[in-house]
Amino acid sequence: MLKRRKECVAMLLAGGQGSRLKVLTEETAKPAVPFGGKYRIIDFPLSNCVNSGIDTVGILTQYQPLELNDYIGNGQSWGLNRNYGGAHILPPYAKSKKSEWYKGTANAIYQNMHFIELYNPEYVLILSGDHIYKMDYAKMLKFHKEKKADCSIAVIDVPVEEASRFGIMNTKEDDAIYEFEGKPKKPKSTKASMGIYIFKWSVLKEYLIRDEEDSKSSNDFGKNIIPALLADEKKLYAYSFKGYWKDVGTIDSLWEANMDLLNPNIPLNIKDPNFRIYARNYAQPPSFVSKSAKIDNSMVAEGCNIKGTVENSIVFTGCTIEEDAVVKDSVVMPNTRIQSGAKIEYAIIGECADIGKDAVIGKDPLYCINSEEWGISVVGSGKKIADGRVIKEKEII
Amino acid sequence: MFQKYRSTAEKIGDNMKMVGIIFSNIYDATMGELTKHRTVASLPFGGRYRQIDFVLSNMVNSGIASVGIITKYNYQSLMDHLGSCSEWDMNRKNGGVFILPPFGTGVTSIYKGKIEALYGAVAFLEKVNAEYVVMSDSTVLCNIDYDKVLEQHIDSGADVTVIANKDQKDTDEVQDLVLEVNKKGKVTDLAIQCTAEENSYIGMGMYIINRQLLLDTIRDSVAHGLYHFERDFLQRKYMKKQIDIGVYHFERTVLRNRNITAYFRNNLKLMDDKVRSEIFCENSPIYTKVRDEVPTYYGDDCEVDNCLIADGCKIDGMVENSIIFRDVTIEKGCHVKNCIIMQGTTVNKGTNLEYAIIDKDVVITENRTLIGADTTPIIINKGEKV
Repeated sequence: MLKRRKECVAMLLAGGQGSRLKVLTEETAKPAVPFGGKYRIIDFPLSNCVNSGIDTVGILTQYQPLELNDYIGNGQSWGLNRNYGGAHILPPYAKSKKSEWYKGTANAIYQNMHFIELYNPEYVLILSGDHIYKMDYAKMLKFHKEKKADCSIAVIDVPVEEASRFGIMNTKEDDAIYEFEGKPKKPKSTKASMGIYIFKWSVLKEYLIRDEEDSKSSNDFGKNIIPALLADEKKLYAYSFKGYWKDVGTIDSLWEANMDLLNPNIPLNIKDPNFRIYARNYAQPPSFVSKSAKIDNSMVAEGCNIKGTVENSIVFTGCTIEEDAVVKDSVVMPNTRIQSGAKIEYAIIGECADIGKDAVIGKDPLYCINSEEWGISVVGSGKKIADGRVIKEKEII
Repeated sequence: MFQKYRSTAEKIGDNMKMVGIIFSNIYDATMGELTKHRTVASLPFGGRYRQIDFVLSNMVNSGIASVGIITKYNYQSLMDHLGSCSEWDMNRKNGGVFILPPFGTGVTSIYKGKIEALYGAVAFLEKVNAEYVVMSDSTVLCNIDYDKVLEQHIDSGADVTVIANKDQKDTDEVQDLVLEVNKKGKVTDLAIQCTAEENSYIGMGMYIINRQLLLDTIRDSVAHGLYHFERDFLQRKYMKKQIDIGVYHFERTVLRNRNITAYFRNNLKLMDDKVRSEIFCENSPIYTKVRDEVPTYYGDDCEVDNCLIADGCKIDGMVENSIIFRDVTIEKGCHVKNCIIMQGTTVNKGTNLEYAIIDKDVVITENRTLIGADTTPIIINKGEKV
């Protein structure tokens, strides 16, 4: 049989719980967390793939996959409904000899080697569903080919003082990686790994099999596979990415990344018609903004009914903000209702929540005596907040 | 939640009985410049829709599996809008949407009325496995469940059921079809092209008819050189007492976009909470082509009062009582009042717009003032620079 092939297959690791997002990921996987008014985190890596000409994406799910599976559907919203290739959800499955969960990032790929083999690719792109960024992977693939690398790792320049929070790549002048340090105390460089790898498939396959045989290994790309490649003096290169890249793994960073969309100086243009971010669409009518409404420096998606005040906030699809309700410096996720008189400041309100009349959620840090105790308030998905209830700063419900 | 699934499941059985027909061009002439390069079906309406979205979504939400769209000319924009119909879930293996362009047989060429138009759909109607045909124009917008109409149609044993409403405010206008109905539900008078009395029913250009009867009617009418559905079929046969006409009374909001003034006013009617809730229902959404626009950004100095605003816009000026379509930019110092601004238009600084319909991709340069009137709004054509 004539075997068709794909040059590059993407594998998107979407099984993480994202426990630091607390109530927001209680019933959903982190990549399915809403972001930016009408998107979910996974829309960014998926749209990047499509915009980079990669049409075969394996999406590895494990933790609370229902919402994510439903969201991806047949991949049509991203143009990934293909006869050959397209989007594929890959959960762990029972096998004849040994059945297990995904033990680590490398093990998740190992367990899906047959999927990759279906497309007989030359290169495999490994992605995670944790970051907000726009990147043309085709450029990175070109770099990978030019360097004749076995593995290329995307890196971004981070401030020196923050470098010890990341996996740092120490490189020679020609971008060849000679050392990898996970969260170093005294970083030698500021090139932080973005968790985006391109491997020559034949090389990755060999190391995945070898890693699996090592019972002591924690089956992780950063901890095991990359160090093993380096130890064998394989050709590893760092591909420098310039642009906006943000981890949205914590409450604070998720809130900040949303607020970044309102800042014209942040280099993340989600409105570029040549590099659109695609998302599932839910047939919502345009938003209605009444006479009593007041909207300042905010993003409001479709299907909303705005009658109150919205300032410096992101309001997602299908929200209702009643008269005399005030939403300031906050993120209001899809299909939530904020009843009249409620006051929301510096908060994230989860999907389908219902905030009662005159409830008060969160506080402006200016009015906090002890700044140590201040933080973003969070109301979880589907929660009902009773009329007049007060949710303090940093409180998570 | 399961209730929802159950009701859908019930519909599957029922609605293999119905097939849909949509007329996309019939009223093109009434909309002037707005339909110069498009069909009335693809005329934008309500911020992110085309008129056909309402008609087609009604059929989809009623569980109708096959819909034929009869086109005449200028239908490129319509085809572009519908694409593979995946947004309506009509990209199906069995059924789906069929575009029916004029079928040149030598007997008819470009058609004059609905019956002639239907002649091009004969092959489609013969092939489809359904007992009843739902026909609709694309100028009357509402959110209707054809299932309920079919139920009444079958119960009453009528040959044709006319969907109609009572509209007291519309009594001055000349209507296409006006019916008088007695207390027993019998039609006592059927008039075309006349004004309606306070209690009369006004036809909504939607009919349910038995498929075989429709096929026979088309063939017979074409053979006799008749082409007007309401006049040559409904009225003629009614007078001769050859058919039994039923009337389905539709009680929710109906928007008749029969001319530019009505189209303009009906757009602005969407600011009314009741109208909006009766047109955009949660359980029967209106589908449209997805454009993957970003959410709308409202700037620091913007002032928005009573507006319907779609995605992808950037609003920095003052906007009052207006419909803003996708991807529209309204710069600082603008004052937009009682306007319809279509997709991709830019209104530059300091401009003053009132009672205007601005078509797609228009650029209005700085400090312009364009003021129309409620009865005759100013129209700026697609792609123009003012």
